[in-house]
Amino acid sequence: MNNPRIFITAMGIISPLGRGLGETLVSIKQAERAVKSLHLFPTTQNPLPVGEIDLRDATTDMPRTHILAMAAADEAMRDIKEPPDAVIIGVTTGGMTLTEDLLRKGETDPGCYRLHATNTIAEAIAGRFGCRGPVLTVSTACSSGAAALKIAAELLRTGQARHVLAGGADALCRLTYYGFHALQLVDPAGARPFDRKRRGMTVGEGAAMLLLSASATPPPDALAEYLGGGLSCDAYHPAAPHPDGEGALRAMQEALSDAGLSAGEIDYIQLHGTGTADNDRAEARAIRDLFGDLPLPRLSSLKGAHGHALAAAGAMGAVTSILAMRYGFIPANVGFTEADPLLNLVPIQQSQQAPVKKVLVNAFGFGGNNAVLAFGDLSGHVSSVASPAYKPKAPFFVYGRSGLSCAGDLEETLTRLQVGEPFPGIVANENILKPLSEKAVRRLKRLARMVLSLAVSACGEKPEREAPRSVFLGTGWGSLSETHDFLQKLFTSGERFTSPTDFIGSVHNAPTGQAAIHFQATGPNITMTGGDCTFEQALYCADLLVRDDPILLVGADEYHATLSPLFDASLAQTGIPADGGGALYLSRHPSGASCQVTVPVVAFAGDEISRIPEMISALGGVARIRERFGLILAGIPWAQQEKGKAQLENFRTLTDFPRPVVDYRRFLGEFTSVSALAAVLAVRMVEAERIPDVFCQDGSPALAGRGILILGLGHHVTALEVNPC
Amino acid sequence: MHELIEELKIKIIETLNLIDVSPADIDVNDQLVGGDLGLDSIDVLELVMMLEKDYGVIIDTKELGIEVFASVTALANHVFHHRSETNV
Repeated sequence: MNNPRIFITAMGIISPLGRGLGETLVSIKQAERAVKSLHLFPTTQNPLPVGEIDLRDATTDMPRTHILAMAAADEAMRDIKEPPDAVIIGVTTGGMTLTEDLLRKGETDPGCYRLHATNTIAEAIAGRFGCRGPVLTVSTACSSGAAALKIAAELLRTGQARHVLAGGADALCRLTYYGFHALQLVDPAGARPFDRKRRGMTVGEGAAMLLLSASATPPPDALAEYLGGGLSCDAYHPAAPHPDGEGALRAMQEALSDAGLSAGEIDYIQLHGTGTADNDRAEARAIRDLFGDLPLPRLSSLKGAHGHALAAAGAMGAVTSILAMRYGFIPANVGFTEADPLLNLVPIQQSQQAPVKKVLVNAFGFGGNNAVLAFGDLSGHVSSVASPAYKPKAPFFVYGRSGLSCAGDLEETLTRLQVGEPFPGIVANENILKPLSEKAVRRLKRLARMVLSLAVSACGEKPEREAPRSVFLGTGWGSLSETHDFLQKLFTSGERFTSPTDFIGSVHNAPTGQAAIHFQATGPNITMTGGDCTFEQALYCADLLVRDDPILLVGADEYHATLSPLFDASLAQTGIPADGGGALYLSRHPSGASCQVTVPVVAFAGDEISRIPEMISALGGVARIRERFGLILAGIPWAQQEKGKAQLENFRTLTDFPRPVVDYRRFLGEFTSVSALAAVLAVRMVEAERIPDVFCQDGSPALAGRGILILGLGHHVTALEVNPC
Repeated sequence: MHELIEELKIKIIETLNLIDVSPADIDVNDQLVGGDLGLDSIDVLELVMMLEKDYGVIIDTKELGIEVFASVTALANHVFHHRSETNV
C-alpha cells in the first residue's frame, strides 16, 4: 500500500483578527491590523502594542492558553462525531498567565497551579473529545504548532491513526511580553515585517487546531491536502537565526522534498516574518536561495496583522493559508510600506484575488528551531516523487547512555539501586559539571547544564561514530531556574528590570538548542513537555520523525525549591526533592550496539482505569510479555497512585507475570522525567544481563537473554521496551 | 573615573558570571564584545539592563550600543556622563 494521503477535514482558529474562520477570513481580506496597546495586565511604563484577544466574556476559570486552545478545538470539532485517534498540541506558555498572578500573590497551594503544565492543554482537549490515543505536547518555541502538525502527519503515515487533532496555542503573559522587550525585539510602532524601518515584533496570542485525516482520496469534507513538512535546527545561536537563513532554507527544502514538489510549483509562502531585523533578513536570504533564478511566488507575513502568537504561529499560518487557497486570495503583509533594499524581497501589500494551489508555511523559533509545512488545494496534486509505501522502521539501537541522580552518574546510580532502598534526592552540582567546562556553560542554569552533561556523557565529548544529527528531549517543566529568576527580578523591580539571558534560557527547548550547537546537530530538534510520560513521548516522536540518522534522546528535569513543590503534584505530596535524568545515543543500525529500545505504547487513559488489555495486545500479547521480559519497572506517579496501582494490578492479573515487578519511582523519587533514568538503568542491566539481586526474592537475577519492560501508569499509559540486540 | 572603571569591571564579571576572570584580566581598551572575554549580543543586553538598573543609563539603539560597549573605557565614559544620581 502506498502512503495514505493526508487531508485537512476541519479546522478552527482564534486570534486578534477574530473568533473563528468566518471573522478571520473577513479581517484578513480587509487587511485589518489588530495590533493595539496592551490591556491584559497593568504596566509601569507605556504599554507596548500587542496582538491581544478580548476574553472578558469567558465563563471559565481555566488559564488563558487553555481557553484559546479550547475555542479553536471546539470550532474544528464542531461537526465531528468520532473522537480523534491522537491529539498533538504545540504550546510554550501553558498556564503561565495565571501562574504569574498566583506567584505574585505568594499563593502556596499547589492545587491552584494544577493547570500550569503545558501538557494540561492537550489533555483537556483529549478529555473533551474522548481521545484515547497518544496525547502529546510539543514545545519548540515559535515553531511548536507547525512541528505538532508535522508529527501528526507522520503518525498518520504509519497507519496507526486515521484522524489526528493537532495545532498550537499560546497566550499573552508577562514572561513573553517583558522577555521579548528585554531582548529589544519589540517594535514600539507594531510589527512591520520586511519593511525598511522595521524595529521588531509584536507579541501576540491565539490558537489554531486542524483535524488531519488519512485517506486514499479526498473525503467529502476535505478542505485541503497536507503535502509534506520539514524540520531543521540552525545549531547556531540560542535566540538569533543563522544570518544566512541556512536552517530555514533546509527546512523549506525538506518540506518540498517530503511533498514531492519543486520550488517553482509553490504559489504562495506564508512567511514567518516576525518583523525583527534578524529574522526577516535571514528568511529573505533563505527564500532567495531556495528560488535562485526562478521568479518568487507571492509572499506575506500576517504578524503585522495579528502579532506573533508564538507556539500557535505555525498552526495559525496553516489555517490562514488554507483559507487563502479555499477562497482564492493572497493575504496582505500588513504593516509593510517601504521595501528594504537589503532584503531584495517585497511582500504582497494589498490583499488580492488570485488562485492559490500550493503553499508553504514557515515557522521558526528560539533554539534555531525551524518547521515548514506544505499544503495543496484539492485540484488533484500528484506527487512528482513517487511516495514510497510506509515501511515499519527498525528499532533504535543503543550506542551510548548516561544518567544523573543524587547518587551520581549512571554507574553510581546502579550501585545505589542495588542496595534496595529508596534514594530520592537531587543531583549534586559537581556531578552535573563533571563532563562540562564551567566557562562554556556560564550562561546556562540547572536544567540546560544537566541536559548538556547527560548528552556529552552519552555521546562522548567527540563521538567516535557520527555525531547525533537530531536531538529529542522530554522534560516535564523545562528550565524552572530561569523562569523563576526572570519573574522574580521582574516582580521585585516593579516590572522594570528582567534578565534577557534568563528569558532565552526559560524556553522549554533552550537545552536542546544548546545540545544542537554542541554537536552541530542540524536535523529535527524536538522538545516534548508531556508531563509524567514526557520521556516516552520524546522517544515516540523520534521514532516517527527519524529514518537513518543517529539521535540524542534525553529525559531530564530540575528540582527548583520554590516552583517544583507548587507545580509537581507528586513531588508536593511526598515532600521529597528529587531530580535527574538519563540520555541515550541511538541509531537505526544494529552493528556494534549494546541493546535496543522501542516504545510500542503511548496512550491517554483519561479517567478510565482500564487501558491495560489494549496495552497487552500492543505488546504482542500475554505469552510474549511472559517470555520476553525478565523485569518490569513500573512508574506510578505518587499523585496518580490510585489509578496507577489499579492499572498495575489489572496488568498483573491479566498477564500473571512470573518475574519481578518494581515500582521504580519509590527508589528514584518523584520527578516527571524519572522514566528516562529508569530506562538508562534498564539499558545497563540488559547490557550486564542481570538485574539487582534485591529485586529477586526467589528467582535468578540473570536476565538470560530477556529484556526489561518499563511501564508508565496513571493519566497516560506507556510501555517502553529495552531488549538485547 | 578610575574607581568607576574598576566598579564596572566587577559588575561585568558578576552580571555575566564570567568564570576565572578577575578585574585585572580585563584590558580597559580591549574590544569588549567579540573579544577575548567571549561576550556576545546576549551579554550586551544583560549589561544594558544592569546599566539602567544601577546607573539609570538607557541604551536603546544598536548604534549607541556599539559605541558604548566598544571597550570598558568607552563604557565608563558614557556612564560617567549619563548616569542619574538617583540610581547610584
